[in-house]
Amino acid sequence: MYIVKRILIMLLTIWVIASLTFLIMKFIPGDPFASDADVLPEEVLQNIRAKYNLDEPIAVQYVLYMKDLVTFDLGFSIQSETRSVNSIIADGAPASALLGLQALVIALALGLLLGIVAALNHNKVLDYASMFIAIIGISVPSFILAPLLIKYFAVEWGMLPVASWGTWQHSILPTLALAATPLAVIARFMRSSMLEVTNQNYIKTADAKGLSKTKLVIRHGIRNAILPVISFIGPLFVSLITGTFVIEKIFAIPGIGRYFVDSIFNRDYPVIVGTTIFFSVLLVLTLFIIDISYRYIDPRIKLTSGGE
Amino acid sequence: MKKWLVGMLILVIVAAGCSNGSSGESGADIAQEITVNAMSEPPDLDPALATDTTSGWVLDHVFEGLYTKDESGNPVLGAAENVDVSEDGKTYTFTLRDDAKWSDGSNVTAQDFEYGWKRVLNPDTGSSFAFYMYYIKGAEAYNKGDGAVEDVGITAQDDKTLVVELGAPLGYFDELLTMWTFYPVKQDLVEENNAWSAEADTYVSNGPFKLTKWAHDSEVVIEKNENYWDNSVVKLDKVTYKIVNDATTYYQMFKTNELDLIQTLPSDVLDQEKESEEYSEVPYFGTYMYMFNVEKEPFTNEKIRRAFTLAVDRETLTKNVTKSGETPAYAFVPPGVETPEGDFRETGGEYFEEDAAEAKRLLEEGMEEEGWTELPEVSISYNTAENNKKIAEAVQAMYKDNLGVDVKLENQEWKTYLDTTQQGNFQMARMGWIGVLVDPVVILDYYLGDSPNNRTNWVNEEYDQLMADAKVEQDPETRYDLLHQAEAVLMEDLPFNPIYHYTNNYLTSQNFENIVYPVNRYPYLKWAEKVSE
Repeated sequence: MYIVKRILIMLLTIWVIASLTFLIMKFIPGDPFASDADVLPEEVLQNIRAKYNLDEPIAVQYVLYMKDLVTFDLGFSIQSETRSVNSIIADGAPASALLGLQALVIALALGLLLGIVAALNHNKVLDYASMFIAIIGISVPSFILAPLLIKYFAVEWGMLPVASWGTWQHSILPTLALAATPLAVIARFMRSSMLEVTNQNYIKTADAKGLSKTKLVIRHGIRNAILPVISFIGPLFVSLITGTFVIEKIFAIPGIGRYFVDSIFNRDYPVIVGTTIFFSVLLVLTLFIIDISYRYIDPRIKLTSGGE
Repeated sequence: MKKWLVGMLILVIVAAGCSNGSSGESGADIAQEITVNAMSEPPDLDPALATDTTSGWVLDHVFEGLYTKDESGNPVLGAAENVDVSEDGKTYTFTLRDDAKWSDGSNVTAQDFEYGWKRVLNPDTGSSFAFYMYYIKGAEAYNKGDGAVEDVGITAQDDKTLVVELGAPLGYFDELLTMWTFYPVKQDLVEENNAWSAEADTYVSNGPFKLTKWAHDSEVVIEKNENYWDNSVVKLDKVTYKIVNDATTYYQMFKTNELDLIQTLPSDVLDQEKESEEYSEVPYFGTYMYMFNVEKEPFTNEKIRRAFTLAVDRETLTKNVTKSGETPAYAFVPPGVETPEGDFRETGGEYFEEDAAEAKRLLEEGMEEEGWTELPEVSISYNTAENNKKIAEAVQAMYKDNLGVDVKLENQEWKTYLDTTQQGNFQMARMGWIGVLVDPVVILDYYLGDSPNNRTNWVNEEYDQLMADAKVEQDPETRYDLLHQAEAVLMEDLPFNPIYHYTNNYLTSQNFENIVYPVNRYPYLKWAEKVSE
């Protein structure tokens, strides 16, 4: 029952997001067909508008769009007339997802490690060193870090290609640039969460029982401390795998990150709603999965629809 | 009819260090491949739908029209081997080459041309460039939904003969036919699969190269088309268009040899690269300007418009602010049009001289004429971009110094800006115009009374008449004379304030030669050859 209810709420959420996006974007001033270069006679413009149903009242456009949406047809791009929004997403998603996953793995592995090491060595050199790295990761934005990585690894030392896409070497620098900030955030999060947990009575009890240090840290420490980090990972995961405008632009990655931004500048209506729906579906799904996973990490959490 | 030449600036890069005798032989084992930067994903590789220079760059390499361009940029017969023009200049009969082939080996037929052109005109296609075909009899009516397709003057008499009837003679029809909108498409392929141009697998073309890979947002690859009739002049086996949008990134990719040719250098490296042998500046057939809204005070007054035009120091602006080798503009038509008497711009000359004192005097006179003791507040609008901002700020300072006038600056994001200016909500607004064809008509048409581009509210019957006369004039000299007269009328009234003529800058690897740099397109690689590693 709980799962069914959750799924219905998810569908409702997506419908509300799609509807709001559809309406709001129609209020942005400007015309997708406006340009300084095309001398479009009114009659031709009419024909083009009709192709995208833009000659209909907004209510009709909305109904037509929703009808297509039910069959997962997101329509055709206005900017690239021969490409459907479905194919834009299908072409761009794999590259974005690959980078996002690699970055997430690195951010999680190193972030958790740094956080744990820092917490276990509270107020010692290792703690300060870890947090120094974390602060740099947070305060250096990716549009600074990315050119720096290119300058040294690609231009000066010639170890890796500057940009573009195709081989695994191409994905290294963008992955690092993408991972830096979440890595730092995770490290700081994990550190404070871990510090909090180690002051709990059950840790002291376990310690007093003579549990080995390793078991203590893994079974009682990390397992409890990681919970708040996991709730943070959900949205992070979605934003990483759907691509980032800055990183994809600097490294010339054929992902979908830029469509979230460019579509708005181009008033490419089908792409604006299409990418928004794509993002929200992923986000809602991920949050759902995370909720379920709590159950397994922390048996105290029960999957009941009724209030506690 | 004597063929008049259409100007195009040609720059042939001569590779350094291949003056020794063995260079010819060593060329044989060098992989004939070049990697260039297209900067953005081509939105459409369908000749009927493409409207931008990036798509045009690929299309020009994979297709060929009835006319194509030679190495010096003049229109020469391409897919057609012969043309007969009727006495009255209104009927063109083209005979296609026997060896004109599609990249799949089949014959290019006159029906393919008829089908392709009528497809552009079909109102259901929604082609933005259909209006370039309005010179053809019945084309405009059909495109606007008032006429039948049968009445359009495009007829394939047999497989090899195409007859085109024009509404009136057109002096630059051959130049017009080199445009991608006039390329043929393979009829049975397109009828069968409307999305034929979206992927490389289904793509068939008839030019020097064929499309072999289109990895969206990453790269477009074209390879030598063995079925092309003139394939012996094509040296490159493969051209890769990378899609790298960030200026610093593609500059660094050039430096690490990941790219062989880049354009539009990041502004911070211009000074250091200018001395390099790899650097070149090529005039681009367009003009950067400020439009005056002649129905909004104070620009209702001609003298005040002139004052604001004379008070800009274009030399200083291009040398110290924009810095990419732009040519200061004292007229509308950019350099690059070759006429029997020489370059159109040179024979037309400059229409005004900058003069701060004169500008101040004109401003006072204009204010007196209007009975103003104080000048209405003036705002300069521009679309949000670093370059536009720098220029607007410089112009603002010049007005302060030279006219003693404080102007405000306003900027808007591009699409909003287009909307605002289209509705006439501006006094003085930045705009650029680039000619798709190298002919003064394409530039001067901008300010026709009924042009959708003319946002200034300036309508001048004499101007419109001169332009109409020029279009049907068959004699090149008289035609250019009419165009000069029209430009003079425009520059007398000054509904706009020209700032500079555009320039493209390039970095090209010295390993290549015979790359052609047209003034209205990106570099043409048909004859390019890699001569060293």
